[in-house]
Amino acid sequence: MTYKSFEKKIEDDKELPAKLDIPILKYFWQSNPLFSSNKNSIPKFLRRIKVLENFSDNELRLLSSSLHLRQFDDGEVIFNQNDIGVGFYFIYSGRVDIIVENNQRVNDVSNDSKLNHIVSLEKLDYFGELALLQQQSIRNASALARESCQLLGIFKPDLENLINSNPTIATKLLQAVSIITANRLFSVTNEVRRLKYKIKQLEGKNEESN
Amino acid sequence: MKSQINKPEKIRLFIFVFGIVLFCFSLSLFPRVTIPLSVAYVISLIFTPVIPMVMRFGIKRPAAVNLVFVAILFLFSYPLIKITPTVTNEAKNVQYYLPKIESFLKSEYKEITSKIESKTGYEVGDEILNNSLDYGQKATTEILLQIPKYLGSVIEWIFLVPLFVFFILKDGRNFKNSFLKIVPNSIFERFYYLSHQFNRQLGDYIFAKFVEASIVGVIISTGLFILDVRFALLLGLVAALTNVIPYLGPILGTIPAIVFGLAEYGWGPTFGAIAILYIVANCIDIALVFPILVSKIVNLHPLMVVVSVILGSTFFGVIGMIISIPLAAAFKLISIEIYNELYGVKSR
Repeated sequence: MTYKSFEKKIEDDKELPAKLDIPILKYFWQSNPLFSSNKNSIPKFLRRIKVLENFSDNELRLLSSSLHLRQFDDGEVIFNQNDIGVGFYFIYSGRVDIIVENNQRVNDVSNDSKLNHIVSLEKLDYFGELALLQQQSIRNASALARESCQLLGIFKPDLENLINSNPTIATKLLQAVSIITANRLFSVTNEVRRLKYKIKQLEGKNEESN
Repeated sequence: MKSQINKPEKIRLFIFVFGIVLFCFSLSLFPRVTIPLSVAYVISLIFTPVIPMVMRFGIKRPAAVNLVFVAILFLFSYPLIKITPTVTNEAKNVQYYLPKIESFLKSEYKEITSKIESKTGYEVGDEILNNSLDYGQKATTEILLQIPKYLGSVIEWIFLVPLFVFFILKDGRNFKNSFLKIVPNSIFERFYYLSHQFNRQLGDYIFAKFVEASIVGVIISTGLFILDVRFALLLGLVAALTNVIPYLGPILGTIPAIVFGLAEYGWGPTFGAIAILYIVANCIDIALVFPILVSKIVNLHPLMVVVSVILGSTFFGVIGMIISIPLAAAFKLISIEIYNELYGVKSR
Protein backbone atom coordinates (compact mmCIF):
# COMPACT_ATOMS: atom_id res chain seq x y z
CA MET A 1 0.00 0.00 0.00
CA THR A 2 2.95 2.24 0.29
CA TYR A 3 3.21 3.05 -3.40
CA LYS A 4 -0.39 4.21 -3.42
CA SER A 5 0.34 6.60 -0.67
CA PHE A 6 3.23 7.92 -2.73
CA GLU A 7 0.94 8.32 -5.68
CA LYS A 8 -1.47 10.24 -3.58
CA LYS A 9 1.29 12.34 -2.22
CA ILE A 10 2.42 13.21 -5.74
CA GLU A 11 -1.11 14.02 -6.83
CA ASP A 12 -1.63 16.21 -3.82
CA ASP A 13 1.71 17.83 -4.00
CA LYS A 14 1.48 19.75 -7.25
CA GLU A 15 4.41 21.98 -6.60
CA LEU A 16 7.06 22.06 -9.29
CA PRO A 17 10.76 22.30 -8.44
CA ALA A 18 11.49 25.84 -7.58
CA LYS A 19 13.89 26.53 -10.38
CA LEU A 20 15.16 24.74 -13.49
CA ASP A 21 18.91 24.68 -13.22
CA ILE A 22 19.72 25.86 -16.71
CA PRO A 23 23.54 26.02 -16.43
CA ILE A 24 23.64 22.38 -15.35
CA LEU A 25 21.29 21.38 -18.16
CA LYS A 26 23.45 23.29 -20.59
CA TYR A 27 26.56 21.60 -19.24
CA PHE A 28 25.11 18.14 -19.78
CA TRP A 29 23.81 19.09 -23.21
CA GLN A 30 27.17 20.36 -24.32
CA SER A 31 29.11 17.43 -22.93
CA ASN A 32 27.04 15.17 -25.13
CA PRO A 33 29.53 13.58 -27.54
CA LEU A 34 27.18 14.00 -30.49
CA PHE A 35 26.88 17.74 -29.90
CA SER A 36 27.89 19.35 -33.17
CA SER A 37 30.52 21.75 -31.88
CA ASN A 38 32.28 18.90 -30.11
CA LYS A 39 32.39 16.73 -33.16
CA ASN A 40 34.36 18.91 -35.49
CA SER A 41 35.08 22.49 -34.69
CA ILE A 42 37.45 23.11 -37.59
CA PRO A 43 34.70 24.25 -40.01
CA LYS A 44 33.39 26.57 -37.29
CA PHE A 45 36.86 27.94 -36.86
CA LEU A 46 37.21 28.46 -40.62
CA ARG A 47 33.86 30.26 -40.65
CA ARG A 48 35.38 32.96 -38.48
CA ILE A 49 38.23 33.65 -40.93
CA LYS A 50 37.42 36.68 -43.00
CA VAL A 51 39.01 35.70 -46.32
CA LEU A 52 37.01 32.47 -46.39
CA GLU A 53 33.65 34.19 -46.15
CA ASN A 54 32.61 33.23 -49.69
CA PHE A 55 32.63 29.54 -48.69
CA SER A 56 29.33 27.91 -47.82
CA ASP A 57 29.14 25.80 -44.65
CA ASN A 58 29.25 22.56 -46.58
CA GLU A 59 32.21 23.74 -48.62
CA LEU A 60 34.05 24.62 -45.40
CA ARG A 61 33.34 21.12 -44.13
CA LEU A 62 34.81 19.62 -47.31
CA LEU A 63 37.77 21.99 -47.17
CA SER A 64 38.46 21.03 -43.55
CA SER A 65 38.79 17.39 -44.59
CA SER A 66 41.86 18.27 -46.65
CA LEU A 67 43.49 20.42 -43.98
CA HIS A 68 46.17 19.01 -41.69
CA LEU A 69 46.16 19.90 -38.01
CA ARG A 70 49.76 20.17 -36.82
CA GLN A 71 50.91 20.63 -33.25
CA PHE A 72 53.96 22.79 -32.52
CA ASP A 73 55.74 23.26 -29.20
CA ASP A 74 56.88 26.58 -27.83
CA GLY A 75 59.87 27.87 -29.80
CA GLU A 76 59.66 25.20 -32.47
CA VAL A 77 60.48 26.21 -36.04
CA ILE A 78 57.51 25.97 -38.39
CA PHE A 79 59.59 26.77 -41.43
CA ASN A 80 62.93 28.41 -42.09
CA GLN A 81 63.71 31.31 -44.35
CA ASN A 82 65.00 30.12 -47.77
CA ASP A 83 63.39 26.72 -47.38
CA ILE A 84 61.22 25.45 -50.18
CA GLY A 85 57.68 25.91 -48.98
CA VAL A 86 54.55 24.06 -49.98
CA GLY A 87 52.19 24.97 -47.14
CA PHE A 88 49.72 27.70 -46.24
CA TYR A 89 48.85 27.83 -42.54
CA PHE A 90 45.95 29.12 -40.45
CA ILE A 91 46.58 29.59 -36.75
CA TYR A 92 44.05 27.45 -34.93
CA SER A 93 45.39 28.28 -31.50
CA GLY A 94 48.51 29.85 -30.05
CA ARG A 95 50.81 32.52 -31.37
CA VAL A 96 53.36 32.57 -34.20
CA ASP A 97 56.26 34.97 -34.78
CA ILE A 98 57.41 35.81 -38.28
CA ILE A 99 61.12 36.54 -38.33
CA VAL A 100 63.50 37.69 -41.06
CA GLU A 101 67.16 36.79 -40.87
CA ASN A 102 69.33 39.47 -42.41
CA ASN A 103 72.47 37.65 -43.21
CA GLN A 104 73.60 39.73 -46.13
CA ARG A 105 76.71 38.11 -47.45
CA VAL A 106 78.44 41.39 -48.29
CA ASN A 107 78.79 43.01 -44.91
CA ASP A 108 78.27 39.97 -42.78
CA VAL A 109 81.66 39.74 -41.10
CA SER A 110 80.74 38.50 -37.68
CA ASN A 111 78.76 35.67 -39.28
CA ASP A 112 75.97 35.77 -36.73
CA SER A 113 72.75 36.52 -38.50
CA LYS A 114 70.64 39.24 -36.98
CA LEU A 115 67.10 38.28 -36.29
CA ASN A 116 64.50 40.84 -37.19
CA HIS A 117 61.17 40.26 -35.62
CA ILE A 118 58.55 41.37 -38.12
CA VAL A 119 55.16 40.50 -36.77
CA SER A 120 53.35 38.34 -34.27
CA LEU A 121 50.36 36.47 -35.55
CA GLU A 122 47.56 35.20 -33.40
CA LYS A 123 44.52 33.00 -33.65
CA LEU A 124 42.58 33.38 -36.95
CA ASP A 125 45.65 34.79 -38.72
CA TYR A 126 47.28 33.04 -41.62
CA PHE A 127 50.72 32.95 -43.24
CA GLY A 128 52.70 31.31 -46.04
CA GLU A 129 50.07 31.84 -48.72
CA LEU A 130 52.64 32.43 -51.49
CA ALA A 131 53.74 28.81 -51.23
CA LEU A 132 50.45 27.67 -52.70
CA LEU A 133 50.80 29.92 -55.75
CA GLN A 134 54.48 29.86 -56.61
CA GLN A 135 56.30 27.09 -58.38
CA GLN A 136 59.23 26.10 -56.13
CA SER A 137 58.34 28.80 -53.67
CA ILE A 138 61.11 29.91 -51.32
CA ARG A 139 60.11 31.18 -47.89
CA ASN A 140 61.17 34.79 -47.45
CA ALA A 141 60.84 34.69 -43.68
CA SER A 142 60.99 32.17 -40.88
CA ALA A 143 58.06 31.24 -38.69
CA LEU A 144 58.48 30.28 -35.05
CA ALA A 145 55.86 28.96 -32.67
CA ARG A 146 55.61 31.22 -29.66
CA GLU A 147 53.41 29.14 -27.38
CA SER A 148 52.47 25.59 -27.96
CA CYS A 149 50.21 26.16 -30.90
CA GLN A 150 48.05 24.29 -33.36
CA LEU A 151 48.16 25.16 -37.03
CA LEU A 152 45.87 24.13 -39.84
CA GLY A 153 47.97 23.62 -42.94
CA ILE A 154 46.95 23.14 -46.53
CA PHE A 155 49.70 21.98 -48.87
CA LYS A 156 50.27 21.91 -52.61
CA PRO A 157 49.36 18.19 -52.95
CA ASP A 158 46.06 18.87 -51.16
CA LEU A 159 45.37 21.76 -53.51
CA GLU A 160 46.10 19.54 -56.53
CA ASN A 161 43.74 16.89 -55.21
CA LEU A 162 41.07 19.52 -54.55
CA ILE A 163 41.42 20.93 -58.07
CA ASN A 164 40.74 17.47 -59.45
CA SER A 165 37.98 16.34 -57.13
CA ASN A 166 36.26 19.55 -55.98
CA PRO A 167 37.02 22.30 -58.49
CA THR A 168 34.59 24.74 -56.86
CA ILE A 169 36.27 24.55 -53.49
CA ALA A 170 39.72 24.76 -55.04
CA THR A 171 38.65 27.84 -57.02
CA LYS A 172 37.24 29.52 -53.94
CA LEU A 173 40.39 28.73 -51.97
CA LEU A 174 42.54 30.15 -54.74
CA GLN A 175 40.26 33.18 -54.85
CA ALA A 176 40.81 33.70 -51.14
CA VAL A 177 44.57 33.33 -51.54
CA SER A 178 44.58 35.75 -54.46
CA ILE A 179 42.59 38.27 -52.42
CA ILE A 180 45.27 38.06 -49.73
CA THR A 181 48.10 38.46 -52.22
CA ALA A 182 46.29 41.22 -54.10
CA ASN A 183 45.83 43.18 -50.88
CA ARG A 184 49.46 42.69 -50.06
CA LEU A 185 50.52 43.71 -53.58
CA PHE A 186 48.39 46.82 -53.33
CA SER A 187 50.04 47.90 -50.07
CA VAL A 188 53.46 47.06 -51.48
CA THR A 189 52.77 49.22 -54.56
CA ASN A 190 51.73 52.10 -52.29
CA GLU A 191 54.86 51.65 -50.24
CA VAL A 192 57.03 51.66 -53.37
CA ARG A 193 55.37 54.84 -54.54
CA ARG A 194 55.97 56.47 -51.14
CA LEU A 195 59.60 55.38 -51.14
CA LYS A 196 60.16 56.63 -54.68
CA TYR A 197 58.75 59.99 -53.67
CA LYS A 198 61.06 60.07 -50.65
CA ILE A 199 64.07 59.18 -52.79
CA LYS A 200 63.20 61.99 -55.16
CA GLN A 201 62.94 64.40 -52.25
CA LEU A 202 66.29 63.28 -50.89
CA GLU A 203 67.90 63.53 -54.30
CA GLY A 204 66.55 67.05 -54.66
CA LYS A 205 67.93 67.97 -51.25
CA ASN A 206 71.27 66.44 -52.19
CA GLU A 207 71.48 68.51 -55.36
CA GLU A 208 70.57 71.67 -53.48
CA SER A 209 73.26 71.09 -50.90
CA ASN A 210 75.86 70.40 -53.57
CA MET B 1 68.42 27.70 -37.11
CA LYS B 2 68.97 23.96 -37.48
CA SER B 3 70.39 23.78 -33.98
CA GLN B 4 66.97 24.68 -32.62
CA ILE B 5 65.68 21.14 -33.15
CA ASN B 6 64.87 20.29 -29.57
CA LYS B 7 64.99 17.00 -27.81
CA PRO B 8 61.40 15.75 -28.26
CA GLU B 9 61.66 16.54 -31.96
CA LYS B 10 64.83 14.47 -32.19
CA ILE B 11 63.08 11.59 -30.48
CA ARG B 12 60.13 11.92 -32.85
CA LEU B 13 62.47 11.92 -35.85
CA PHE B 14 64.24 8.84 -34.57
CA ILE B 15 61.00 6.98 -33.91
CA PHE B 16 59.69 7.94 -37.35
CA VAL B 17 62.79 6.78 -39.24
CA PHE B 18 63.11 3.68 -37.09
CA GLY B 19 59.44 2.85 -37.69
CA ILE B 20 59.82 3.16 -41.46
CA VAL B 21 62.94 0.99 -41.50
CA LEU B 22 61.25 -1.60 -39.29
CA PHE B 23 58.19 -1.58 -41.53
CA CYS B 24 60.23 -2.11 -44.72
CA PHE B 25 62.28 -4.83 -43.03
CA SER B 26 59.21 -6.72 -41.83
CA LEU B 27 57.65 -6.42 -45.30
CA SER B 28 60.74 -7.97 -46.86
CA LEU B 29 60.42 -10.89 -44.41
CA PHE B 30 56.90 -11.78 -45.52
CA PRO B 31 56.77 -11.97 -49.33
CA ARG B 32 53.38 -13.66 -49.18
CA VAL B 33 51.89 -10.41 -47.97
CA THR B 34 54.30 -8.04 -49.66
CA ILE B 35 53.87 -9.25 -53.25
CA PRO B 36 50.07 -8.98 -53.46
CA LEU B 37 50.24 -5.77 -51.47
CA SER B 38 52.67 -4.17 -53.90
CA VAL B 39 50.72 -5.44 -56.92
CA ALA B 40 47.58 -3.94 -55.39
CA TYR B 41 49.45 -0.70 -54.69
CA VAL B 42 50.60 -0.47 -58.31
CA ILE B 43 47.08 -1.12 -59.62
CA SER B 44 45.62 1.43 -57.24
CA LEU B 45 48.27 3.95 -58.30
CA ILE B 46 47.05 3.57 -61.87
CA PHE B 47 43.43 4.11 -60.95
CA THR B 48 43.53 6.71 -58.17
CA PRO B 49 43.50 9.62 -60.66
CA VAL B 50 40.25 8.24 -62.07
CA ILE B 51 38.38 8.74 -58.78
CA PRO B 52 38.47 12.58 -58.82
CA MET B 53 37.36 12.47 -62.46
CA VAL B 54 34.31 10.42 -61.45
CA MET B 55 33.73 12.68 -58.46
CA ARG B 56 33.51 15.68 -60.75
CA PHE B 57 30.14 14.41 -61.96
CA GLY B 58 28.81 15.12 -58.49
CA ILE B 59 29.23 11.58 -57.19
CA LYS B 60 30.34 11.24 -53.57
CA ARG B 61 33.71 9.67 -52.87
CA PRO B 62 32.55 6.24 -51.56
CA ALA B 63 30.22 5.78 -54.53
CA ALA B 64 32.99 6.85 -56.90
CA VAL B 65 35.38 4.33 -55.33
CA ASN B 66 32.83 1.54 -55.71
CA LEU B 67 32.16 2.49 -59.31
CA VAL B 68 35.86 2.55 -60.18
CA PHE B 69 36.44 -0.74 -58.41
CA VAL B 70 33.64 -2.47 -60.31
CA ALA B 71 35.04 -1.04 -63.54
CA ILE B 72 38.52 -2.40 -62.67
CA LEU B 73 37.08 -5.82 -61.87
CA PHE B 74 35.25 -5.90 -65.18
CA LEU B 75 38.25 -4.57 -67.09
CA PHE B 76 40.54 -7.25 -65.68
CA SER B 77 38.30 -10.25 -65.19
CA TYR B 78 36.55 -10.27 -68.57
CA PRO B 79 39.70 -10.54 -70.71
CA LEU B 80 41.28 -12.87 -68.14
CA ILE B 81 38.38 -15.31 -68.38
CA LYS B 82 38.28 -15.04 -72.16
CA ILE B 83 42.01 -15.12 -72.84
CA THR B 84 43.46 -17.36 -70.13
CA PRO B 85 42.22 -20.70 -71.59
CA THR B 86 43.57 -19.83 -75.04
CA VAL B 87 46.90 -18.69 -73.68
CA THR B 88 47.34 -21.78 -71.49
CA ASN B 89 46.43 -23.94 -74.46
CA GLU B 90 49.02 -22.19 -76.60
CA ALA B 91 51.62 -22.44 -73.84
CA LYS B 92 50.99 -26.18 -73.65
CA ASN B 93 51.44 -26.51 -77.39
CA VAL B 94 54.71 -24.59 -77.31
CA GLN B 95 56.57 -27.54 -75.76
CA TYR B 96 55.67 -29.72 -78.76
CA TYR B 97 57.06 -27.10 -81.05
CA LEU B 98 60.32 -26.69 -79.20
CA PRO B 99 62.07 -29.76 -80.78
CA LYS B 100 61.03 -28.58 -84.21
CA ILE B 101 62.50 -25.15 -83.59
CA GLU B 102 65.63 -26.73 -82.17
CA SER B 103 66.21 -28.92 -85.22
CA PHE B 104 65.50 -25.96 -87.47
CA LEU B 105 68.05 -23.85 -85.65
CA LYS B 106 70.60 -26.65 -85.87
CA SER B 107 70.19 -27.09 -89.61
CA GLU B 108 70.34 -23.33 -90.21
CA TYR B 109 73.43 -23.09 -88.05
CA LYS B 110 75.11 -25.89 -89.94
CA GLU B 111 74.39 -24.21 -93.25
CA ILE B 112 75.80 -20.92 -92.08
CA THR B 113 78.91 -22.44 -90.55
CA SER B 114 79.58 -24.50 -93.67
CA LYS B 115 79.21 -21.32 -95.75
CA ILE B 116 81.66 -19.52 -93.51
CA GLU B 117 84.03 -22.44 -93.66
CA SER B 118 83.96 -22.64 -97.44
CA LYS B 119 84.52 -18.88 -97.80
CA THR B 120 87.04 -18.13 -95.09
CA GLY B 121 88.33 -21.51 -94.06
CA TYR B 122 87.62 -20.72 -90.41
CA GLU B 123 85.98 -23.51 -88.41
CA VAL B 124 83.34 -22.12 -86.08
CA GLY B 125 82.46 -25.27 -84.21
CA ASP B 126 79.24 -26.26 -82.50
CA GLU B 127 79.90 -24.90 -79.03
CA ILE B 128 78.11 -21.60 -79.51
CA LEU B 129 74.93 -23.19 -80.77
CA ASN B 130 74.95 -25.96 -78.18
CA ASN B 131 75.62 -23.57 -75.36
CA SER B 132 72.88 -21.20 -76.38
CA LEU B 133 70.42 -24.05 -77.00
CA ASP B 134 71.21 -25.52 -73.60
CA TYR B 135 70.68 -22.15 -72.02
CA GLY B 136 67.38 -21.63 -73.82
CA GLN B 137 66.14 -25.09 -72.86
CA LYS B 138 67.14 -24.61 -69.28
CA ALA B 139 65.42 -21.26 -69.09
CA THR B 140 62.17 -22.48 -70.63
CA THR B 141 62.03 -25.63 -68.51
CA GLU B 142 62.81 -23.57 -65.45
CA ILE B 143 59.89 -21.28 -66.22
CA LEU B 144 57.61 -24.23 -67.00
CA LEU B 145 58.65 -26.03 -63.81
CA GLN B 146 58.01 -22.97 -61.71
CA ILE B 147 54.50 -22.51 -63.06
CA PRO B 148 52.84 -24.95 -60.59
CA LYS B 149 54.70 -23.28 -57.75
CA TYR B 150 53.39 -19.92 -58.82
CA LEU B 151 49.91 -21.23 -59.53
CA GLY B 152 49.18 -21.81 -55.84
CA SER B 153 50.12 -18.26 -54.95
CA VAL B 154 48.26 -16.93 -57.99
CA ILE B 155 45.03 -18.39 -56.65
CA GLU B 156 45.77 -16.69 -53.36
CA TRP B 157 46.45 -13.41 -55.17
CA ILE B 158 43.20 -13.57 -57.12
CA PHE B 159 41.38 -13.06 -53.84
CA LEU B 160 43.91 -10.89 -52.05
CA VAL B 161 44.78 -8.36 -54.74
CA PRO B 162 41.24 -7.10 -55.43
CA LEU B 163 40.64 -6.88 -51.68
CA PHE B 164 43.79 -4.81 -51.18
CA VAL B 165 43.03 -2.65 -54.22
CA PHE B 166 39.55 -1.89 -52.92
CA PHE B 167 40.72 -0.87 -49.48
CA ILE B 168 43.68 1.10 -50.76
CA LEU B 169 41.32 3.02 -53.05
CA LYS B 170 38.71 3.46 -50.33
CA ASP B 171 40.78 4.16 -47.23
CA GLY B 172 44.16 5.06 -48.69
CA ARG B 173 43.58 8.71 -47.92
CA ASN B 174 42.74 7.99 -44.29
CA PHE B 175 45.79 5.75 -43.92
CA LYS B 176 47.90 8.51 -45.40
CA ASN B 177 46.43 11.18 -43.16
CA SER B 178 46.93 9.19 -39.99
CA PHE B 179 50.43 8.31 -41.13
CA LEU B 180 51.17 11.99 -41.79
CA LYS B 181 50.21 12.77 -38.19
CA ILE B 182 53.33 10.97 -36.94
CA VAL B 183 55.64 12.67 -39.43
CA PRO B 184 57.82 15.05 -37.38
CA ASN B 185 57.25 18.77 -37.91
CA SER B 186 60.76 19.53 -39.05
CA ILE B 187 60.52 17.34 -42.15
CA PHE B 188 56.75 17.36 -42.67
CA GLU B 189 56.46 19.73 -45.63
CA ARG B 190 59.34 18.17 -47.53
CA PHE B 191 58.26 14.64 -46.79
CA TYR B 192 54.66 15.26 -47.79
CA TYR B 193 55.57 16.99 -51.04
CA LEU B 194 58.21 14.40 -51.97
CA SER B 195 55.95 11.45 -51.30
CA HIS B 196 53.14 13.07 -53.28
CA GLN B 197 55.42 13.87 -56.19
CA PHE B 198 56.89 10.38 -56.11
CA ASN B 199 53.51 8.66 -55.98
CA ARG B 200 52.14 10.75 -58.82
CA GLN B 201 55.12 10.27 -61.11
CA LEU B 202 55.32 6.57 -60.39
CA GLY B 203 51.58 6.25 -61.04
CA ASP B 204 51.88 8.20 -64.30
CA TYR B 205 54.84 6.07 -65.36
CA ILE B 206 53.10 2.79 -64.67
CA PHE B 207 49.90 4.01 -66.31
CA ALA B 208 51.80 5.11 -69.44
CA LYS B 209 53.68 1.83 -69.64
CA PHE B 210 50.47 -0.12 -69.10
CA VAL B 211 48.74 1.72 -71.96
CA GLU B 212 51.75 1.41 -74.26
CA ALA B 213 52.21 -2.30 -73.60
CA SER B 214 48.55 -3.11 -74.08
CA ILE B 215 48.38 -1.15 -77.35
CA VAL B 216 51.41 -3.00 -78.74
CA GLY B 217 50.10 -6.32 -77.47
CA VAL B 218 46.67 -5.80 -79.02
CA ILE B 219 48.13 -4.71 -82.38
CA ILE B 220 50.47 -7.71 -82.58
CA SER B 221 47.89 -10.23 -81.39
CA THR B 222 45.25 -9.06 -83.83
CA GLY B 223 47.78 -8.84 -86.65
CA LEU B 224 49.06 -12.35 -86.05
CA PHE B 225 45.50 -13.58 -85.65
CA ILE B 226 44.55 -12.10 -89.03
CA LEU B 227 47.68 -13.64 -90.58
CA ASP B 228 46.49 -16.92 -89.06
CA VAL B 229 49.79 -17.52 -87.28
CA ARG B 230 49.85 -20.02 -84.42
CA PHE B 231 50.42 -18.73 -80.89
CA ALA B 232 49.07 -15.28 -81.84
CA LEU B 233 47.93 -14.48 -78.30
CA LEU B 234 51.05 -15.82 -76.63
CA LEU B 235 53.37 -13.89 -78.94
CA GLY B 236 51.29 -10.74 -78.40
CA LEU B 237 51.52 -11.23 -74.65
CA VAL B 238 55.29 -11.67 -74.85
CA ALA B 239 55.57 -8.53 -76.99
CA ALA B 240 53.43 -6.57 -74.53
CA LEU B 241 55.41 -7.74 -71.50
CA THR B 242 58.79 -7.07 -73.04
CA ASN B 243 57.63 -3.69 -74.31
CA VAL B 244 57.80 -2.47 -70.72
CA ILE B 245 61.59 -2.57 -71.01
CA PRO B 246 62.67 0.47 -73.02
CA TYR B 247 65.13 0.11 -75.94
CA LEU B 248 65.78 -3.62 -75.38
CA GLY B 249 62.17 -4.71 -74.97
CA PRO B 250 60.89 -4.41 -78.55
CA ILE B 251 63.88 -6.42 -79.82
CA LEU B 252 63.49 -9.08 -77.14
CA GLY B 253 59.80 -9.34 -77.97
CA THR B 254 60.51 -9.81 -81.67
CA ILE B 255 63.06 -12.63 -81.33
CA PRO B 256 60.64 -15.46 -80.46
CA ALA B 257 58.28 -14.43 -83.27
CA ILE B 258 61.10 -14.37 -85.83
CA VAL B 259 62.54 -17.72 -84.74
CA PHE B 260 59.12 -19.31 -84.69
CA GLY B 261 58.12 -17.76 -88.01
CA LEU B 262 61.30 -18.99 -89.70
CA ALA B 263 60.93 -22.49 -88.28
CA GLU B 264 57.27 -22.76 -89.17
CA TYR B 265 56.96 -20.93 -92.48
CA GLY B 266 60.53 -20.54 -93.77
CA TRP B 267 61.67 -17.58 -95.86
CA GLY B 268 58.21 -17.03 -97.28
CA PRO B 269 55.53 -14.35 -97.53
CA THR B 270 54.16 -15.23 -94.08
CA PHE B 271 57.51 -14.57 -92.45
CA GLY B 272 57.73 -11.26 -94.31
CA ALA B 273 54.25 -10.35 -93.11
CA ILE B 274 55.19 -11.17 -89.51
CA ALA B 275 58.33 -9.04 -89.76
CA ILE B 276 56.39 -6.13 -91.27
CA LEU B 277 53.74 -6.47 -88.56
CA TYR B 278 56.33 -6.17 -85.81
CA ILE B 279 57.98 -3.22 -87.52
CA VAL B 280 54.60 -1.49 -87.96
CA ALA B 281 53.59 -2.14 -84.35
CA ASN B 282 56.85 -0.71 -83.03
CA CYS B 283 56.60 2.25 -85.43
CA ILE B 284 53.09 2.99 -84.13
CA ASP B 285 54.46 2.70 -80.62
CA ILE B 286 57.36 5.06 -81.31
CA ALA B 287 55.62 7.53 -83.59
CA LEU B 288 52.12 7.79 -82.13
CA VAL B 289 51.90 6.38 -78.61
CA PHE B 290 55.26 7.42 -77.23
CA PRO B 291 54.99 11.17 -77.97
CA ILE B 292 51.59 11.31 -76.25
CA LEU B 293 52.82 9.51 -73.17
CA VAL B 294 56.38 10.78 -73.15
CA SER B 295 55.66 13.55 -70.68
CA LYS B 296 54.55 10.88 -68.23
CA ILE B 297 57.50 8.58 -68.76
CA VAL B 298 60.66 9.22 -66.82
CA ASN B 299 63.53 9.38 -69.24
CA LEU B 300 66.25 6.96 -68.34
CA HIS B 301 69.58 7.01 -70.09
CA PRO B 302 70.00 3.93 -72.36
CA LEU B 303 73.07 2.96 -70.37
CA MET B 304 71.11 3.04 -67.14
CA VAL B 305 68.35 0.97 -68.77
CA VAL B 306 70.79 -1.72 -69.85
CA VAL B 307 72.55 -1.79 -66.48
CA SER B 308 69.32 -1.99 -64.50
CA VAL B 309 67.93 -4.72 -66.77
CA ILE B 310 71.09 -6.77 -66.29
CA LEU B 311 71.01 -6.23 -62.53
CA GLY B 312 67.32 -7.11 -62.40
CA SER B 313 67.82 -10.29 -64.40
CA THR B 314 70.71 -11.45 -62.22
CA PHE B 315 68.73 -11.00 -59.03
CA PHE B 316 65.16 -11.89 -60.01
CA GLY B 317 65.35 -13.52 -63.47
CA VAL B 318 62.79 -12.67 -66.14
CA ILE B 319 60.44 -10.89 -63.72
CA GLY B 320 63.37 -8.82 -62.52
CA MET B 321 63.95 -7.54 -66.05
CA ILE B 322 60.44 -6.10 -66.14
CA ILE B 323 60.42 -4.80 -62.58
CA SER B 324 63.89 -3.25 -62.85
CA ILE B 325 62.81 -0.33 -65.04
CA PRO B 326 60.10 1.07 -62.76
CA LEU B 327 62.45 0.55 -59.84
CA ALA B 328 65.23 2.40 -61.64
CA ALA B 329 62.79 5.18 -62.55
CA ALA B 330 61.69 5.41 -58.92
CA PHE B 331 65.29 5.55 -57.78
CA LYS B 332 66.02 8.30 -60.31
CA LEU B 333 62.97 10.31 -59.19
CA ILE B 334 63.93 10.11 -55.54
CA SER B 335 67.53 11.04 -56.21
CA ILE B 336 66.48 13.99 -58.40
CA GLU B 337 64.15 15.26 -55.69
CA ILE B 338 66.78 14.85 -53.00
CA TYR B 339 69.31 16.60 -55.21
CA ASN B 340 66.92 19.50 -55.78
CA GLU B 341 66.21 19.63 -52.08
CA LEU B 342 69.88 19.74 -51.14
CA TYR B 343 71.52 21.71 -53.92
CA GLY B 344 69.27 22.72 -56.78
CA VAL B 345 67.10 25.57 -55.69
CA LYS B 346 69.03 27.13 -52.87
CA SER B 347 72.08 27.74 -55.01
CA ARG B 348 70.06 29.72 -57.50
